[in-house]
Amino acid sequence: MTRPDRRQDSAKRKGTVMTSDEAPGGDDGARNVGPLPFDVTKAHQARAYDYLLGGKDNYAADRASADEAIEIYPDIVFTMRANRAFLGRAVRYLAGEAGIRQFLDLGTGIPTAGNLHEVAQAIAPDSRVVYVDYDPVVLAHARALLDSSEAGATEYIDADLRDTGTILSRAADLLDFTKPVAITLMSILHAIPEADDPYSIVAMLLDTVPSGSYLAISQFGEELMPAEAREALLASARRTSLQQYTARTREQVARFFDGTDLVEPGLVRVEEWRQDPGARGEGKSVYWCAVGRKR
Amino acid sequence: MGTVPPSGETPDADQDEPAAEATVLRMLLGAQLRRLREAAGIPAEKAGYEIRASRSKISRMETGRVGFKLRDIQDLLTLYGVLDEKEQAKVIALAGRSREPEWWTRYNDVLPDWFESYLGLESAARSIRSFETQFVPGLFQTEDYARAVTRLGHQTAPESEIERRVGLRLKRQDLLSRARPPRIWVVMDEAVLRRPIGGAAVMRAQLFRLAGVAELPGVRLQVVPFARGGHAGASGSFSILRFEEPDLPDVVYMEQLTSAVYLDQRADVEHYLEVADQLSSEALTPAATVLFIEQVIKET
Repeated sequence: MTRPDRRQDSAKRKGTVMTSDEAPGGDDGARNVGPLPFDVTKAHQARAYDYLLGGKDNYAADRASADEAIEIYPDIVFTMRANRAFLGRAVRYLAGEAGIRQFLDLGTGIPTAGNLHEVAQAIAPDSRVVYVDYDPVVLAHARALLDSSEAGATEYIDADLRDTGTILSRAADLLDFTKPVAITLMSILHAIPEADDPYSIVAMLLDTVPSGSYLAISQFGEELMPAEAREALLASARRTSLQQYTARTREQVARFFDGTDLVEPGLVRVEEWRQDPGARGEGKSVYWCAVGRKR
Repeated sequence: MGTVPPSGETPDADQDEPAAEATVLRMLLGAQLRRLREAAGIPAEKAGYEIRASRSKISRMETGRVGFKLRDIQDLLTLYGVLDEKEQAKVIALAGRSREPEWWTRYNDVLPDWFESYLGLESAARSIRSFETQFVPGLFQTEDYARAVTRLGHQTAPESEIERRVGLRLKRQDLLSRARPPRIWVVMDEAVLRRPIGGAAVMRAQLFRLAGVAELPGVRLQVVPFARGGHAGASGSFSILRFEEPDLPDVVYMEQLTSAVYLDQRADVEHYLEVADQLSSEALTPAATVLFIEQVIKET
């Protein structure tokens, strides 16, 4: 029995194109960054986030680590909710006012309420969304739980953000890079240390898309938390988590947006970006965010 | 939660409660009421007083040994500080379901109690995630395949009983065409596709059916091919059921020869969640699985 050839695998199902990256680990030896190993004895950012948003796809180590973070800095919970809400408002803006129909979402995470393609397709049913994550388990959940609209499409790519070339060449199966694309990097760049040059990664992504494309980012902000709490939080993650985090200053986050014009209100905390009128702030987040339009 | 007692041992319900109730739903509802009461810091005596009942009645309700009156549940929820109408309605709807005689009571002659409990869970679930080592999942079986599987388990049963059992199995499949069907996510060992239950013709038709259900919007099938070698599912088949009500725990269900095991303690459930997570990342993707099934059809 031969395994289905990945090149033939463009099976259309209910408006969904699913690709064939069915071999976790892949067979392209050129990659220097492999998939995340499955380990439930340490906290995983996606699973801890799922826990903080009220989900059940998490393990004891994820909950212990998240609880420890809350102990150190209670507004972590507010930050996660505010980040999720920012994703919703940003995508509504992009699919609505900005007229974007193609999305490249890096660091998809475990599906919860208000997933990107649901928000986009509620406004524009023909929206096409490529989800990228480097954790095969997270992506298995996304494939199993996300349904595209009939008119639109979703696709899934198992790849590390640092494997930017692979991501872009696979994403080209679903997205037309001659037309504007929104690139979303929600709560993920802080998992890429300075040593891995996240600025070049973002620049490479932006280089691939045409003028009029958008970039949306949320990221742990250095000035948004007292130094002592921040150090305690990072130390806790070093002990309990699979991922390590890098807080960035407002200036560093602004660097990601080189070559774009920031949409109003510019670079702000996630809960401050085009907040719905009447929304009450129940805390202060520790995430910077912005949406920029490529010149 | 543990095993559900065999037929005849279910403790008697209060006189004013209907006899046919989904045991497990009642247990889940009871557990939820206990959590809400404890979170509100209210002693069982006080809760009992509120609904003109004893402390032990509250305890029996919370362990799912007796049924509930909707009025009592409403009063308890108010006492526990669950005032939001939508929140109340969710719990009450569950209670309603746990009191109604279900369609399967008509199959009582061929239906062991432990399986009746499963049907209650299955019809209440928002998602069913399972792993199958040997057989096509009951919800996706063709009539002929179901008949062949039933004969394997009841070799000496008269034809009429076999037909009753097959009828029950097919009736269960109404779930798939319900207004809001649960999401069904199944990982199967390749053996499920290869073992020709009922002979080559029956199996071939069954494979076509599988390829068809894989296209249903809420269904995802994944195969772990033999070529992958050993896999995380060495423990055997199981299902993890998740419910709409966020406070209800996930339940793991495993069928045995004469009974079934239900687990709802988080620490137990998590072992199965871990295996399911690992299996679903080792298996072919849903899209690749459809191609794989088509390939098997070509070869048979």
